[in-house]
Amino acid sequence: MTTLIINKKQYQLELKGHETLLEVLRDHLGLTGTKTSCQDAECCACTVIINGKAVLACITLACDVEGAEILTIEGLARGDELHPLQTAFLEKGAVQCGFCTPGMIMASKALLDRNPQPDQQQIRDALDGNLCRCAGYSKIFEAVSYAAELMRGAQKGKEAHD
Amino acid sequence: MTETKRFFNPVGKSVPRIDGRGLVTGESKFTYDLKFNGMLVGKMIRSPHPHAKVIRIDTTKAQQLPGVKAVVTARDTNQIKFGSNEYFFPHTVDQLALESEKVRYIGDEIGAIAAETEEIAEAALKLIEVEYEVLPAVFDVFEAIKPGAPQIHAHCRNNIGVILPVNFGNPNRGLRESDYVREDIFYSQAAAHACMETHVCIGQWETYSDKITMWISHQAPFKVREALAKCLKINLNNIRVIKMPSGGGFGGKLEMLPMDFSACLLSKKAGGVPVKMCYSRQEEFSFSRRKHNMHYKLKSGVRKDGKLMAITGEVYADGGAYCSYGPTVMAAATMRIFMVYNLEHLRITGYRVYTNKPISGAIRGFGGVQSGFSIESHMDLLAEGIGMDPVEFRLKNITGPNMVTKNKMIISSNGLKECIEAATEKSGWKQKRGKQRHLARGIGIGIAADVMGSKMYKSHESAGAIIKIEEDCSVYLFTGAADTGQGSNTALSQIAAQELGIGFERISCTAADTEITPFDTGSFASRVTFISGNAALLAARDAKKQILEIVADKHECKAQDLDIVAEEVIVKADGSVLCSFDKAVELCYSFDYGKQIIGRGSYNPKTTPIDFRTGEGNVSGSYGFEAQIVEVEVDTETGKIKILKLWDAHDVGKAINPSSVESQVEGSVVMGLGYTLFEDLEFHNGRVANASFAKYKVPRSGIIPPIETIMIETNDPQGPFGAKGMGEAALLPTAAAIANAIYDAVGIRLKELPFTPDKVIKALEEKQNHNHKDEVE
Repeated sequence: MTTLIINKKQYQLELKGHETLLEVLRDHLGLTGTKTSCQDAECCACTVIINGKAVLACITLACDVEGAEILTIEGLARGDELHPLQTAFLEKGAVQCGFCTPGMIMASKALLDRNPQPDQQQIRDALDGNLCRCAGYSKIFEAVSYAAELMRGAQKGKEAHD
Repeated sequence: MTETKRFFNPVGKSVPRIDGRGLVTGESKFTYDLKFNGMLVGKMIRSPHPHAKVIRIDTTKAQQLPGVKAVVTARDTNQIKFGSNEYFFPHTVDQLALESEKVRYIGDEIGAIAAETEEIAEAALKLIEVEYEVLPAVFDVFEAIKPGAPQIHAHCRNNIGVILPVNFGNPNRGLRESDYVREDIFYSQAAAHACMETHVCIGQWETYSDKITMWISHQAPFKVREALAKCLKINLNNIRVIKMPSGGGFGGKLEMLPMDFSACLLSKKAGGVPVKMCYSRQEEFSFSRRKHNMHYKLKSGVRKDGKLMAITGEVYADGGAYCSYGPTVMAAATMRIFMVYNLEHLRITGYRVYTNKPISGAIRGFGGVQSGFSIESHMDLLAEGIGMDPVEFRLKNITGPNMVTKNKMIISSNGLKECIEAATEKSGWKQKRGKQRHLARGIGIGIAADVMGSKMYKSHESAGAIIKIEEDCSVYLFTGAADTGQGSNTALSQIAAQELGIGFERISCTAADTEITPFDTGSFASRVTFISGNAALLAARDAKKQILEIVADKHECKAQDLDIVAEEVIVKADGSVLCSFDKAVELCYSFDYGKQIIGRGSYNPKTTPIDFRTGEGNVSGSYGFEAQIVEVEVDTETGKIKILKLWDAHDVGKAINPSSVESQVEGSVVMGLGYTLFEDLEFHNGRVANASFAKYKVPRSGIIPPIETIMIETNDPQGPFGAKGMGEAALLPTAAAIANAIYDAVGIRLKELPFTPDKVIKALEEKQNHNHKDEVE
């Protein structure tokens, strides 16, 4: 039995050695928000966050991440309350077909968690592997900047409250 | 102002996507995300040869493998062909659900397998025994049309599957009367749609009820239904095609694949369980559809005063193994010139040629991208020949509002002039053109026009919509239009809410389920906002009329004197309020009235059939226009081209959702940048040689330049609230604008796409040698 910690929940799973995290998320756990697009580490549609780092689920063996903190797109919103990145992607029109969106948001979250105030170049660099074929990227960059603003605002609000 | 009030009168506002929450939370289920009890996995049996006769298929061993539930071949089909331009071009209907006698490209489908798991299906594929008689193959357009070339289809002796002549005026006279005549040849390469979601479908053919259900990622679910009905011989009302959220289409998900038929055939053979079929990324690049690579030969003339006298030419397109959307693509590659230029004499003939390569089909812009590159580069060369500024030259020759073109296209609103003027002003054209060569910087322009739909595949091009208002005043919009990411569900809901006079939040949109929603031909040719938008508008108008009739009856006045504005029923004459929208709906569902509010709308644009012997006809109910200006910098050491900025001025009629308009422009332009600079689907003996994102490059975040969208609103008389479609046009002039800018920057004229660094360096060297020679002489 392997223990995986996904979105703060523990799962006890019987895994085969070759099963990727992407397969486990989608096929065993029904967490289909993480998308399958190239299965070869070329498009980053399957980006998840493991111990704070953006990682591609399609080339990560599930048994190798036993005990690690795994965060997927499903773990971002708190109940009805969207994560600022999700709000920003919606409000800034950064979503077209939405297929690359979960990966984009997860890669952006990993960026904002380590750098709350990224400049344009840092956003571009962080998302350089994430392919989007619909939206032309500009609105995605805008959404990430806006989310950073929202998150800083929330943080300040929280500090003031404390 | 309350939250609800924010989106009263939503037309013209950047309302967030109606289906956005599911997409940002990962909650929305795409086809591949669906799971059903007992569902099997299907795989296609494909030809390894580019051209061969099928002598024998033996599936016995595969069928005996544990876990294999069904194998189908052509014997299980009705051997009825399908195609994409059946109505006007019946001879182009040339593909079978599963081929029986012959294969025509590497990947051609001759059967399919369904098994419990993907691994078993893959293993079973290896057990299929096929005996082929390999035939000589042909991969090049000009080789394919030579006498004695391998004949790919029995009905087509010279491999020319489509000939589309456009012939008006007296081009020879036009050329004679010109002061400057020149010839150019341009080449546009093959390219891939590369949607983030690959082709995927789930088919279920219930044995006893004989009913088919198909879940699919698609742009034209009603076309799927039509093709399934025809080829599988089932009534339309026994087929339910459900379009799932779709991860991009761009023309690639506009027609049938043999996989779609196979999923149903396998399901039936396996006893009615659903069968899921999904392309891998490698299959997507190799076996879906692709852009026609095209050779564009042009000879045109101008007068010294800048008057464009005549355009003549020939277009040769590499069609691959089957015809697909060939006729539409060729029409877009030839007839579109008349939408842009006010021209007396035009003779251009399109030839679409079969080769033993993957099938060319529809891709954003159809043939407009290839023609846009060729024509708009050619126009700059003509302008240069008479020493005229390219902008001035275009302004002298473009079409205008309220005109009938030489080939009888009826143009009502036309903001092309305003687009050119806005783009030149914003970009600083006058200050920059020809003045930055010392920096290897240049600026170039391209212009384009686009249709709003095209009546080329059916006798009609109607869209339907239904509005249902529920007792709690929530509103359903049912539309057959397929949102594949462009945001049509949102735009159509905005139109409906605006017409109904209610808040956008009240609407929920159910789209594209052939059993529930009305018919719609699909998402292509930038038609949805214009055509499906008009249907949504009419349905909302009908529903509103029904409500107002009841209110009028109750208040003893006339319905036509009333309106609904900001969720209040008002008397038009003095604006006085009779009751709230909620009260009005309550009245409809009251003891006295008990009337359900169901509005219906059906819209078919006013067009005339095209005469495909000449190219005459009004193909679209309205036309869209744009001008694009690009500023580039050329690294003369490495040959790399940097796009500094791009301005796109677009006649959108009326922007229903400005943010969506920008997003369409940006997405289009970025696709255009990729096509211009590096995207290139390569073939080796008929096999796609770069079938992965590692080898087939698409634009990444690092190359994205600032893009400024300038919306020109011309309020089209036919458009819903004046709107036009605009999903495709922004990529049509990009390649030419870049080519023209490169010329301005460093004086080289690139006529072969894509503009990779090696081509730039080669052209720079040739130019240097040429200059050197001139000096010596």
